[in-house]
Amino acid sequence: MPSRRRTLLKVIILGDSGVGKTSLMNQYVNKKFSNQYKATIGADFLTKEMQFEDRLFTLQIWDTAGQERFQSLGVAFYRGADCCVLVHDVNVMKSFDNLNNWREEFLIQASPSDPENFPFVVIGNKIDVDGGNSRVVSEKKARAWCASKGNIPYFETSAKEGVNVEEAFQCIAKNALKSGEEEEIYLPDTIDVASSSQRRSTGCEC
Amino acid sequence: MKGVSSAPGDYIYFKSQVPLHKIPIGSKQWRYYDFGPKIVPPLICLPGTAGTADVFYKQIMALSSKGYRVISVDIPRVWNHHEWIQAFEKFLDAIDVHHVHLYGTSLGGFLAQLFAQHRPRRVRSLVLSNSFLETRNFAAAMPWAPVVSWTPSFLLKRFVLMGIPNGPHEPFIADSVDFVVSQVETLSKDDLASRLTLTADAASVGPVLLSDSFITIMDTNDYCATPQLLKDEVSERYPGARQAYLKTGGDFPFLSRPDEVNLHLQLHLRRASVEARPDLVRGTSKDADASEGGGGSSSEPNNDRREDGDDAPKDNRGITPPESPKPPPPPESPDSHHSDSHLGNSEGATSAQYPTTLSLHAFFKKEQYLIASYIFLPSTWGFCILSLLHLYMGTLYIDLEPCWKLRQVV
Repeated sequence: MPSRRRTLLKVIILGDSGVGKTSLMNQYVNKKFSNQYKATIGADFLTKEMQFEDRLFTLQIWDTAGQERFQSLGVAFYRGADCCVLVHDVNVMKSFDNLNNWREEFLIQASPSDPENFPFVVIGNKIDVDGGNSRVVSEKKARAWCASKGNIPYFETSAKEGVNVEEAFQCIAKNALKSGEEEEIYLPDTIDVASSSQRRSTGCEC
Repeated sequence: MKGVSSAPGDYIYFKSQVPLHKIPIGSKQWRYYDFGPKIVPPLICLPGTAGTADVFYKQIMALSSKGYRVISVDIPRVWNHHEWIQAFEKFLDAIDVHHVHLYGTSLGGFLAQLFAQHRPRRVRSLVLSNSFLETRNFAAAMPWAPVVSWTPSFLLKRFVLMGIPNGPHEPFIADSVDFVVSQVETLSKDDLASRLTLTADAASVGPVLLSDSFITIMDTNDYCATPQLLKDEVSERYPGARQAYLKTGGDFPFLSRPDEVNLHLQLHLRRASVEARPDLVRGTSKDADASEGGGGSSSEPNNDRREDGDDAPKDNRGITPPESPKPPPPPESPDSHHSDSHLGNSEGATSAQYPTTLSLHAFFKKEQYLIASYIFLPSTWGFCILSLLHLYMGTLYIDLEPCWKLRQVV
């Protein structure tokens, strides 16, 4: 019995508190922005149907708490992530310095099967603040760090103005798709030839 | 090859901590668990056709330790959806609960929607998992429904447990199936007959007055007995609902993916403005229960092989003391020895578990049509069942010729 199954991709957004993770997600999914700051408690998620290269899939975007004391929901949502987004505020050097910690934390919690090649995307947010004058993290520095960590794609965005957000998420989706398809199927050593076990539309038997 | 089966360690711990209640209400016997601070509006878990109140034990343990109240019920012996609505309402009145949040999987989700439709003032929110909106497909596939109450229980169990995907399964999913199979063994003939009748009884969910923002749809994306078409209908009916898809998990994600399910339930309850009261959670002396990150995953080394409850229930309400966990009758699976570590340990599948799955696969190749099936089918009566139906018909005492003819007409 063939069943059309949608592809589901899971994306986690990590970063220090206040860098704009929730705003980025809101801007991308709802095209909305609010100036009011409300700390995310634990985590929350939004889903968005996307089209990429003629295929439809669902992106489940997890927005996490940046503040330690709000991480009450445990780490169950890390599991099965296809892509991880590291966000920092270009006007706050500490948030950039902490990117490494967030990356390590993610690799520990999510335990992807191929940590060396796990897709990350780095976003430098809030480029609009003060017309760019209070910026402390230069693009060059950020790109250098990204290159050193295995050529991570880097985007500079403004969730408030909606600058580059769409492009960033397109790239996130593309990377997630690549990683998601590789990870999906559970195949032990036997192959079942008897019954209609073709329930998985796999792309990985090439 | 029957191994010595044993219940998973965390299940044994659960039985020792949480009292089982059995009360008659009206003419119906209700069997349920109720755990967590009484002042919090409860989340009531409704299982599918093969499920019992016990299948939600991981949710009960995890969420109650976070300060939520969780009630998990057996579907009582009702024979149509009107009876269900009335019986459930009386149940809620009997336990003195007015507003509820319902979490239903498959048939349970269908019943939850029906109740929300007919008693809108009592249902605050819904979580639907692998569910459906109408029973028409199932009724069409079960033409022998009128004689279901005469059908012997071993046959009913066969139908309820008929496996479809014979393929290898990821260990956690395999364990979840084993557990549900063992639960089905505890059901009586009338229980099974009533659930099958409920599935086949013509009914459909009408407009539900609940706003979509209080509905979460938590479907698994890999495979499940409910056809994708029916699941999509649910998503289309509630377009504004939160889509909490799980990438994998099979038919019983609450057992095979407890951390994720518990997380989604918490997020849902938060959105539905249920305020948890962790301050009211009784600190138990056995602090090894699941208190972090859901699902009992962090404390499994302590829970493995824990003695069963000679401990008196902490909750002395003079109702049934905790039942000693009767070891479920051997589900004829050789890997039951592993089930402790699987269900209890949330680490991913390791290579040590592959041989287990292989042996199971070989096992089922030999015994395809027997009760030792792999995947339980809570509510779908697909073509595979129909094709095997005639094989079983011969074993029935009752002449079902008329029913077959009816089916062909239909």
